Amino acid sequence: MKTFFSLGLIRGIVSQLIVTAIGMGITVAVRVAMGLPAWKAEPAAVVGALLGAIGFMFGVGALTDWLKWMKGEETPMRHGPPKDKPAWTRYFTVDYNHKIIGVQYTVTGIALIGIAGSLAMIFRLELSAPGLQFLTADTYNTFMSAHGIVMIGGILLGVAGAMNYLVPLMIGASDMAFPRLNAFGFWVTVPAALLIVSGMVFGGWDTGWTGYPPLSARAPLGIQLFFLGVYFIGLSSILGALNLLVTVARMRAPGMTLFRMPIFVWASVATSLIALTATQLIALSFLMVLVQRLLGMGFFDPNLTPEAVAMGAPPGNPLLFQHLFWFYSHPAVYVFILPGLGIISELLPVFARKPLFGYKWIAMSSLTIALVGFLVWAHHMFTAGMEEYLRLPFSYTTLLVAVPTGVKFFSWVATLWKGRISLETPMLFVLGAISVFLIGGLTGPPNGTVTTDLQLHDTYWIVGHFHATMFGGFVFPFFAAIYYWYPKVTGRMFSETLGKLHFWLMTPSFWVMSLVQQQIGLMGMRRRIADYDPALGIQAQQVAITIAGYIIFASVLVMIYNLVYSYRHGKIAVANPWNSRSPEFQIPSPIPEHSYEQPFLVTGEPYDYGLEGSVYISIKPDIANAPVAAK
Amino acid sequence: MSAITTSLAEYRHQLKSNRWGLWLFFLSEAFMFGGLLTSRFYLWGDTRPPLDQNLGFIVTVVLLLSSFFMNRAETAIAHDDRKNFQLNLIITAVLGIAFLVGVVGFEWQGEVRPTDGAYGAVLYGMTGMHALHVLSGLIFIMIVFFNGRKGHYSAERHWGVEACAVWWHYVDLVWVFFYPALYLMGTVIHP
Amino acid sequence: MKNHLLNVVVLVGIVTAATLALLKNIPLAPVQASAEGAVTDWLFGLHINVIAFLFALIMVFMLYSVFVFRREPGSLETGEYFHGNTPLEIVWTIAPLITVLYFGYLGAVTLKDITSPGQNELVVNVTGSQWAWKFEYPDSGLTSNTLVLPVGRTVKLEMTSLDVIHSFWVPEFRVKQDLLPGVTKTLRVTPTLPGEYKLRCAEICGRDHAYMVAPVQVLSASAYEAWVNSQVSEAQAAESAPPAERGKTLAQVQGCLACHSADGSPGNGPTWAGLYGEEITLADGTTVTADDAYLKTAIVDPGAQIAEGFPNIMPPTYGDVLSEEQIADIIAYIKSLNE
Ligand code: HEA
Ligand code: HEA
Ligand code: HEC
Ligand code: CUA
Ligand SMILES: [Cu+2]
Repeated sequence: MKTFFSLGLIRGIVSQLIVTAIGMGITVAVRVAMGLPAWKAEPAAVVGALLGAIGFMFGVGALTDWLKWMKGEETPMRHGPPKDKPAWTRYFTVDYNHKIIGVQYTVTGIALIGIAGSLAMIFRLELSAPGLQFLTADTYNTFMSAHGIVMIGGILLGVAGAMNYLVPLMIGASDMAFPRLNAFGFWVTVPAALLIVSGMVFGGWDTGWTGYPPLSARAPLGIQLFFLGVYFIGLSSILGALNLLVTVARMRAPGMTLFRMPIFVWASVATSLIALTATQLIALSFLMVLVQRLLGMGFFDPNLTPEAVAMGAPPGNPLLFQHLFWFYSHPAVYVFILPGLGIISELLPVFARKPLFGYKWIAMSSLTIALVGFLVWAHHMFTAGMEEYLRLPFSYTTLLVAVPTGVKFFSWVATLWKGRISLETPMLFVLGAISVFLIGGLTGPPNGTVTTDLQLHDTYWIVGHFHATMFGGFVFPFFAAIYYWYPKVTGRMFSETLGKLHFWLMTPSFWVMSLVQQQIGLMGMRRRIADYDPALGIQAQQVAITIAGYIIFASVLVMIYNLVYSYRHGKIAVANPWNSRSPEFQIPSPIPEHSYEQPFLVTGEPYDYGLEGSVYISIKPDIANAPVAAK
Repeated sequence: MSAITTSLAEYRHQLKSNRWGLWLFFLSEAFMFGGLLTSRFYLWGDTRPPLDQNLGFIVTVVLLLSSFFMNRAETAIAHDDRKNFQLNLIITAVLGIAFLVGVVGFEWQGEVRPTDGAYGAVLYGMTGMHALHVLSGLIFIMIVFFNGRKGHYSAERHWGVEACAVWWHYVDLVWVFFYPALYLMGTVIHP
Repeated sequence: MKNHLLNVVVLVGIVTAATLALLKNIPLAPVQASAEGAVTDWLFGLHINVIAFLFALIMVFMLYSVFVFRREPGSLETGEYFHGNTPLEIVWTIAPLITVLYFGYLGAVTLKDITSPGQNELVVNVTGSQWAWKFEYPDSGLTSNTLVLPVGRTVKLEMTSLDVIHSFWVPEFRVKQDLLPGVTKTLRVTPTLPGEYKLRCAEICGRDHAYMVAPVQVLSASAYEAWVNSQVSEAQAAESAPPAERGKTLAQVQGCLACHSADGSPGNGPTWAGLYGEEITLADGTTVTADDAYLKTAIVDPGAQIAEGFPNIMPPTYGDVLSEEQIADIIAYIKSLNE
């Protein structure tokens, strides 16, 4: 019990609750002092939520060292593992080791995906027949919107988890450049997630994940909590990206030139460039709606007060929101996929026993996708009524993204060509990822040409498009990564049989789900509707999507079971179960607290599989392949 | 801030990383401020609300001056000149407070209210966001000031001061873009 | 070596053809009922060809490799050692580049096709509000809740919204345009196939977004004429009808009945049945009597006095849309619901 209350997480949540209450009290006090009616839910909720999140950070202890610095007290450069506490408590308490933080991010990410997936299960059941079965239109909208944003939050956390865990290991750094900032970045996502989820309870909201005003300006209270939650997750993204860029710039092992970095590191850099900069714009756009609701600042309000008319003030403009929002949210989709595509490129050579084809081209294509991705945002607005002359330039830039993405696909195929391929679970997920992302990517260009998008926009065709890109670009590669690095993280092997079961359940179901979504979209099924017209004749397809969705859900449960079960009962893992050349596989499993005892030296190319006598890095030669004693 | 126990070599390595980090953060923030500027041009076009020109000019001068004193403070600590370091920090802070009083105490009491269409929204949005950054800079100065009094910082080790100074200059620079966008560009419409 | 490549090329051809054949046999669009639709469907068909080919290309290469270049898990065999080929990389950069530029060009040309004005356009003003559609025909002064269009004539839709963003979409017409509050946006459609369709709001606009649907009728030119004439005479007849009758029609076409019921059943706004003369409790706790003055304010400035238990979502713009007389008619209608 004492251990329980000494967990940072618990202290954080308790202080979040207390400070939220204090914040609401302050709001009431201020209102009374200003002569207003004491209670108004919205300002109280916003102030409470904002302060509560800060309270969480105090309570959890993510600010402790910084507070000491402010007081001028000294802290050690690095914190080791905590003394005289059980090892598992580290995961629930502020810890500065990037591997712990990586696991924290990943597990929280999976939990969020689980929550969002469960919401999908609920609303898919509703959609399996026309008419309203057991949800109301309001609850449907809330569930659907929360499904979207919680999934996206889950992806961002998963991406951060993979980058945090892997990048320092891959470049031979002892840790991230700013361990405290790293811990802060993880922990701030916890109150953020709590805010978003509580937004569903306190009023919900009905705008979809995009939160367009004027609808979001008049949506129920829940949307304010959603805005604040996304704001904090955005903060986490920005700080994580900054940390990663500095780490890669400053802490590479001797001999690791830019073009000798593992390809995943390139992908992470491209990702971080986007997350560092573009994220500010979604934060800003949500903040602007938040203050419009709270203080009446009409950024996006087309109506004017009489005083404003008298002053000659122009009205607000809802389209401005869409520009600001998509300036982030399009590049964000590349945040979701670039690390995933990096993982594909990372794993293919290992399982094909062959060099990565066109390493430099793949590295550069990540950067190109990231940069071109900044210039395409308005393809979400072809029908929105923006300036007509903007539609074509954005159409061209959008189509251009196909080129660097194509380079990746062709290079992957060429990596497989004449390889010696084996199909362990991680490799299966890589191949699944390629097939699924291909569907998602290829359905992009029809959206990118304005003429066809005028038909496709806001239909299930788009829903099919983005589920395929996100599953192919994130979910499948992420699962591949989980299986591939599981032995390094836990020191145990997972069950290959269950892994394969997961794959063979999930892949065909996903194909069904996404392709059928696209088909009913073409037939006229709109997005974001709780009820559809039976005259569309798509009931059978809707049932198929629902069943497929349930099988996907079940298959992920199989994975969770596999991971949990194998953690105790799996075979003890050797240091390098896949015969990989990557640095992290040259040290014992699980990876020791201070990963590399001494910095390693990079002496070769990362992916020279099949080149006699070449090694990527040299550290003490005798530890590779040595089995590790049980814990 | 430089409150980590380390050898000088380690300190220097970390210092370089810290600089990278801070500048990347500036890059990130630039996008946010850029977003606000974009909103201003998108919504106001070539008009602007009736604002007190004198006040705008004065606060701008005050803020620019403060940057000068901030620079003197940093130079002073780099030469281990504690007395001037403390003095210039105080001057900077006073000027910073004067700026805030000018914006929040006077401009915000002017003719334009937050609810006045795009004028109110953008004016209060931009000055508010900037004022928040000035405020954070002031808190930062305060922390550095008190740590300085306790005898922290030296010619070799004063990352805390450097960060505070660069932050202050950055916030100042943002105002250099905001001031013309709010006060100078476009014409006032008298309906 | 030659062999493998040849096999794959043949397979790519077969799989492309098979994919296309499959897609041809799956319904991928509702009937096409506009001239714009012909253009869109053509371009989409072209996209589908490219998708089928590229899909086959990558999948065949991948699956062929997986099946033919296999290794037992755990064996340490290695593949053929080569790590790149610059000419090849250039080819597969340039070829897609040309393809997408060509599609960009086609997109531009077709966009011009479907947006340029036609001859003798029929103008229809479309107003969307939560959750109703209203169509006005400036030519004949008609107002309707059904969008009735003549076949073969380009229609210029001038569209605006009273509250949040909505989107005009008739799947059979293949074009879509959002309606924004405060501004007017234009969309052109040239119906080619007489029949009955549905206008479906395509932008989430709150609770009843799913039900924001309006009937669309495309009629032959003569049937359209007949419809206009009958509507005009009906409208004239309605002019001389008693105020409550006129108010009923107005409440219908203006979309009030999307939120207010006339029979006491619950809705987004308070029911009008038995409303007149009631004591109304307002959100701030005070009470007022629902007399003429109160009802008028409630319509012209709905935010001023919010009825308790209801959100402040009624569009604030009816004051501009309705004339004094029309408001009086609606109030008369509300009154009549008490009997
Ligand atoms: C992970 C996420 C992800 C990824 C990678 C992509 C990738 C792409 N997306 Fe997608 N997209 C989304 C997630 C993603 N998208 C989401 C979430 C939405 C909906 C948001 C919302 O409204 O809620 C959306 C919506 C969306 C729209 C708006 C549709 C609408 O609402 O009307 C458009 C329009 O242009 C678009 C286009 C594209 C294009 C061109 C690509 C390209 O990057 C694809 C490039 C890849 C390929 C083309 C395949 C491989 C290439 C080759 C084999 C080479 C040869 C190819 C050719 C010659 C064509 N997407
Ligand atoms: C990563 C992103 C992601 C993922 C994985 C999914 C997964 C799924 N999505 Fe989602 N979806 C979105 C992102 C995603 N979606 C977004 C952004 C939108 C747009 C929202 C909007 O319009 O605003 C959307 C919208 C959307 C719609 C359209 C709703 C509408 O427009 O009305 C539909 C409808 O079928 C749908 C269905 C599904 C289904 C059946 C799954 C299934 O695959 C789900 C299967 C379940 C899982 C993958 C989770 C399994 C995990 C566990 C079991 C873990 C449990 C463990 C712990 C708790 C630790 N989604
Ligand atoms: C989007 C939904 C919506 C539409 C459309 C709408 N209303 Fe309302 N109306 C409401 C709501 C909600 C209320 C209660 C809140 C309030 O008082 O503003 C209301 C209140 C009223 C009241 C006051 C009733 C009372 O009990 O206090 C009147 C009268 C009224 N509406 C008339 C109209 C007329 C006339 C129209 C059409 C020209 C119309 N409404 C269209 C939602 C709507
Ligand atoms: Cu109107 Cu959706
Ligand atoms: Cu996009």
